[in-house]
Amino acid sequence: MATQLPEPIIEQTYYLNMGPQHPSTHGVLRLFLKLDGEYIIEADPIIGYGHRGHEKMAESHLYEQFLPNASRMDYLSGLIFNHGYVAAIEKMAGIEVPPRAEYIRVICAELNRISSHLLWFGTYIMDLGGFTPFLYAFDDREIILDILDRVTGSRLTYSYCRVGGVAKDVDDEFIAATRGFIQRLRSRWEDYHNLVTKNVIFIHRTKGVGVINREIALRFGCSGPVLRAAGVVYDIRRVEPYSVYPDLQFEIPTGTAGDAFDRYMVRLQEIEQSLRIIEQALERLPEGPIRGRAPRNVRPPRGDSYFAVEAARGALGFYIVSDGTRYPYRLKVRAPSFGNLQVLTEMLPGTLVADTISILGSIDIVVPEIDR
Amino acid sequence: MSFDDFREELRKVVDPAAIRASDHGIKGYSLEVTARSDQVGRIARAARDTDLFLEAISGVDFTDCFQVVYFFNGFGAGSRVQVRVKVNKGESLPTISTVYDAALWHEREVFDLFGIAFDNHPNLRRLLLPEDADFHPLRKDFGRVHAVRSTDEIYGDPTA
Amino acid sequence: MAEKKLTYAPLVHVAALEHMLNLFRANSLWPMTFGLACCAIEMMAAGASRFDLDRFGAGVFRPSPRQSDLMIVAGTISKKMAPTIVTLWEQMPAPKWCVAMGNCAISGGPFEYDGQYAIVPGADLIVPVDVYIPGCPPRPEGLIQGLLLLQDMITKGEKRNVFRRFQRRAEKGR
Repeated sequence: MATQLPEPIIEQTYYLNMGPQHPSTHGVLRLFLKLDGEYIIEADPIIGYGHRGHEKMAESHLYEQFLPNASRMDYLSGLIFNHGYVAAIEKMAGIEVPPRAEYIRVICAELNRISSHLLWFGTYIMDLGGFTPFLYAFDDREIILDILDRVTGSRLTYSYCRVGGVAKDVDDEFIAATRGFIQRLRSRWEDYHNLVTKNVIFIHRTKGVGVINREIALRFGCSGPVLRAAGVVYDIRRVEPYSVYPDLQFEIPTGTAGDAFDRYMVRLQEIEQSLRIIEQALERLPEGPIRGRAPRNVRPPRGDSYFAVEAARGALGFYIVSDGTRYPYRLKVRAPSFGNLQVLTEMLPGTLVADTISILGSIDIVVPEIDR
Repeated sequence: MSFDDFREELRKVVDPAAIRASDHGIKGYSLEVTARSDQVGRIARAARDTDLFLEAISGVDFTDCFQVVYFFNGFGAGSRVQVRVKVNKGESLPTISTVYDAALWHEREVFDLFGIAFDNHPNLRRLLLPEDADFHPLRKDFGRVHAVRSTDEIYGDPTA
Repeated sequence: MAEKKLTYAPLVHVAALEHMLNLFRANSLWPMTFGLACCAIEMMAAGASRFDLDRFGAGVFRPSPRQSDLMIVAGTISKKMAPTIVTLWEQMPAPKWCVAMGNCAISGGPFEYDGQYAIVPGADLIVPVDVYIPGCPPRPEGLIQGLLLLQDMITKGEKRNVFRRFQRRAEKGR
């Protein structure tokens, strides 16, 4: 017998605050959601809970003193931020970097990219409810961290690059350990795919969810795997090559549909391509010095300059305005997640709250690089 | 749509003397444009029509004025454009958020850190600092900075 | 005007019962997932497969402050975030403890300099901290050492913690 309710139900929209303390927002992000039942009508990401004043710090610190800040902005791809920052200064000041240092930088940057994507893989699947891939990914990631710890001295926030080269040379143990890691990850790759990629629940939660097509990506300035999953072949390592990337062979994986599943596949394929890059770089690693000739306190000439690198999350840019002294006049960091996060204002309305976690996780943001 | 299309469109909007080619390998951008605040909207529309995306908007504080720097970039090689606009202290710029949704946050950030207002921005409130903050931190008269300069000291060109 | 002193001490003390309760509390600390910045990643790594926190009883990270009894402040406290931290601390039921992990939570870390505007230089300015773990970021072993120290503080000495099957190197011989 159907239940007849005594009076009509009055429905109202209500506001739900997700964060800033929330296990799935990957940092201190606050999503202010206007809900109609389980459907989102409006979404407003509120950032600034991780604002530490990096750009203001740069104006009263020497170029070399800012180096630790560079890797604390996006701590998951800290070496790539290191690399971008010193390369921007070197380009402005016309400082030559010896080839051995360039190859070491590329090897460490690609190892960092793999560790960042592995962490994303673990936490994304954990958000969706599966705990095992998190343990697998972190196990492999610990090996990368051991390798990088041996040469840089730090596990997470590296200050390894110097203006003109790198701080410390790599030894045979490093090369052997890296080769061992490449073999180990390749042998476990099937496990990763078996655990997740063919899982029915995972496919239902990611296929068709959060479609970001080329037009949306253009309007919001997205870059990185988010843009490549939409089908656009845009990778700074190919389009504006820097360091020794022109000499290395690798492909740029792209997707077709631009949904969360494509972003997942693009990142896993990027890990495979990074392994290829590391292998080639280890083969071609030349002998030689690891620091070029650079003054103790670098003084770039007057003017401004923009330098872009491909971080794990997208196109990272350093815009330096120099007045000819040892201190920057203005340092602006164009963080990749800044453009990627704004897409949520467009993607979330019309979806369910449970899909929010899937979309937010698949975009892969790190909040301190948005807030700087 | 290629980058040359954008160059052609740009010549219709801005005085050709204000457009300079620069060495991408040294500067990071291939075109350098000095624009006035009323030309910004049409430049943005020309960029949108020729398939460029908005990469960054940055402010810089000088003694004589603010400078707002826009970076547009295309998906091909060597297609980055720098557009520099001088804004007197206390003046505002028109918004380009109707053309690029990315500008919604970039302009809010410039407003938050420098205090430069953008006309017709739908939601001009603070982005990074707490809502009730009453200072603009990246101005040179706030906190500790090493130097305050004028535009001539950096760019050295009286028309810049 | 006399100030009312807030205390978490119970009205009735029964020493043996207290000792047992402290033993249970120390060996099953439930932390709150509260990573702010880089130290959060090392906290996650401490809870993951190599440096398992679960073997010390502290592996169950609760998202809600009402279900946790340990707040690990891991990361820089920005001025925008500070009221949230105090709210979360007050939402946690007693008995509760707080660990400041990383240089930023101890004293502002690399972001504290003369003329900074954005951060609160230290968690102990806003919440009462029991253990300070230095490092930028501290290794997961450092976090584990801090947690074991906190456990000893709760049981009032390592010898009284009968559930522990090893001896901390710092306490050996005491």
